Amino acid sequence: MNRVLTLASFNISMIVAERMGLVLSWALFALQFGIFGSLMSHLVQSTKVQDYFFFYGVGLMVITVFDTGSFVGRRFVERAHEGELPYYLSLPISRRGFLESQAVYGVVATILRVGPPLIGVLAFTGRFTLPGAFFALLSLTTLGLGISGIMISFSFIAFKSIDIYNAIIAGLSALLVRFSTVFYPLIFIPSFYSPVAVFSPLTYGADLTRWVLGFDPHLLLNPILAAVVVTAIALGTLSLSAGIVDKIIEGVKAA
Amino acid sequence: MLFFRSDSPRFDFLRTFLSLTSCVLHSSLFAVETLSLSKRYGKTDALRELNFTVDEGEIMVILGPNGSGKTTLLMTLCTILKPTSGTAKVMGIDVVKDGTKVREVMGIAFQEARGFWRHKPSSILKFHASMFDIDPVKRQDLIEQTMKELELWESRDKLFMHLSGGQAKRLETAKVLVQRPKLAIFDEPTSQVDLRGKRKIWDKIRELRDQGSTIIVATNEVREAEYLADRVTILHKGTLVVRDSIPKLKDAIAGGDVVEVGFEDPVADKLVEDLKNLGGILTMSPEGNQLRANVSKAEDWVPRMTSASYNMGAKISTIKITEPSLDDVFLHFTGKSLEENP
Repeated sequence: MNRVLTLASFNISMIVAERMGLVLSWALFALQFGIFGSLMSHLVQSTKVQDYFFFYGVGLMVITVFDTGSFVGRRFVERAHEGELPYYLSLPISRRGFLESQAVYGVVATILRVGPPLIGVLAFTGRFTLPGAFFALLSLTTLGLGISGIMISFSFIAFKSIDIYNAIIAGLSALLVRFSTVFYPLIFIPSFYSPVAVFSPLTYGADLTRWVLGFDPHLLLNPILAAVVVTAIALGTLSLSAGIVDKIIEGVKAA
Repeated sequence: MLFFRSDSPRFDFLRTFLSLTSCVLHSSLFAVETLSLSKRYGKTDALRELNFTVDEGEIMVILGPNGSGKTTLLMTLCTILKPTSGTAKVMGIDVVKDGTKVREVMGIAFQEARGFWRHKPSSILKFHASMFDIDPVKRQDLIEQTMKELELWESRDKLFMHLSGGQAKRLETAKVLVQRPKLAIFDEPTSQVDLRGKRKIWDKIRELRDQGSTIIVATNEVREAEYLADRVTILHKGTLVVRDSIPKLKDAIAGGDVVEVGFEDPVADKLVEDLKNLGGILTMSPEGNQLRANVSKAEDWVPRMTSASYNMGAKISTIKITEPSLDDVFLHFTGKSLEENP
């Protein structure tokens, strides 16, 4: 366990070393929330959604989590191509331990990227409570783990062709974000694509986080179902990626 | 329950038996052992049924041109690559069944020193040392000493991405030196390093061997192999061509040693005939005062030649002996030069 944490903290120190990127991501969030969020909330006047501004803010956090999870997965692939992965695979840590360290890295990366915006949004909208912030962060972090797991699970494609991997991930990202309840409640989504939205993990992550923060449950999926799905995706994809790391991925191909 | 008294003959027999068993077991334990090891990438066989061993405490140099399978073998030994078939053991531990334990006893300096762009050399070494449980009290001193020895101390606070190719390569070596593993693997340790740096790295590798580590060095540099090797394994197209000490490999080339003898007077036909009768000679070509002979073992032939010449009254003015290079050895065993592509 000590080695898992040592490896994770080494990776995390890289995020800290690139702190300007972190600050810029918070600034971008604030900009998008402030400008687009207020614009959208004025455009969307619905009696059913009392506070679309806040609804949008949570959606933006889910997008940030999705970006962070994708980043963790993409970093994994980049490590292989830049030569870091062979080094990591030569360290005295099991493949499962290696993946656990990536998961810890993913969790910390998610907290660093989404934690301050979450607190900012809650404070700005006057909804800040400690339990609310804690459980919202828990929900978002679990979602982040699932997204990282999905991206790492697809990384074996990158070992065949990085172009195909990029194309698949770009397509998948577009589908997962668009066909979800990130920016629109499920009940408003037209019937021709609402069935598709229930296949996006973001739908469950977004609705669970909103429920935790006290949104009207009638606009959301069943929170127990959402919690089960988000947890299952995190555990399932991380187990899958552990199997992939152990059985399929080899650090380098050399002759 | 005690079956034998310690002074009984049966106890002596048991003690001898156990001692012999221990000897047999110990002698069969190699630091590295592969059996019919194969690795295939698509339709390319990188390793073919390789049987390879390294004794404990030796420096084994794997010599071969690019594409001969050197790196694939090393990557398989350090569990990064999985063999397609066959087995490989490091310190008696199977690389497939017990990869984590293998990684605990070995360290590798990779051919390409890449990654960790935004980390400093000192933090990379600290991380590496902590992953291998190097005593935290001694860690800092060890890192400082190694960095100074490899002339990296001045660059300790530079970011990795600002290091030169040679510095990055030395950092790669420093990781293994700080770790002091039971099995240390160096993949082309001095490529991109200047001559002074090469000598330093080679000396540190030998020092590591003297401290008890078993070393494998993969290279296609003849000078590196000559400087480091206790034994050399020649790999060609994924197969082991030959494995022995450098002197024995050179001696294996019939007529590989070239002896050029200068006489004070022109070489007489009778002398040539007598020298031919000495044996161990492949070709001999007299020309004026000079005699050029291709012999298998110059160290055996030259004393006999000087003695015969003395008896014939022929006075020798110069003797020049040229040994075959490792490139000649490679050429002899594979039919190709190290410089050529596979």
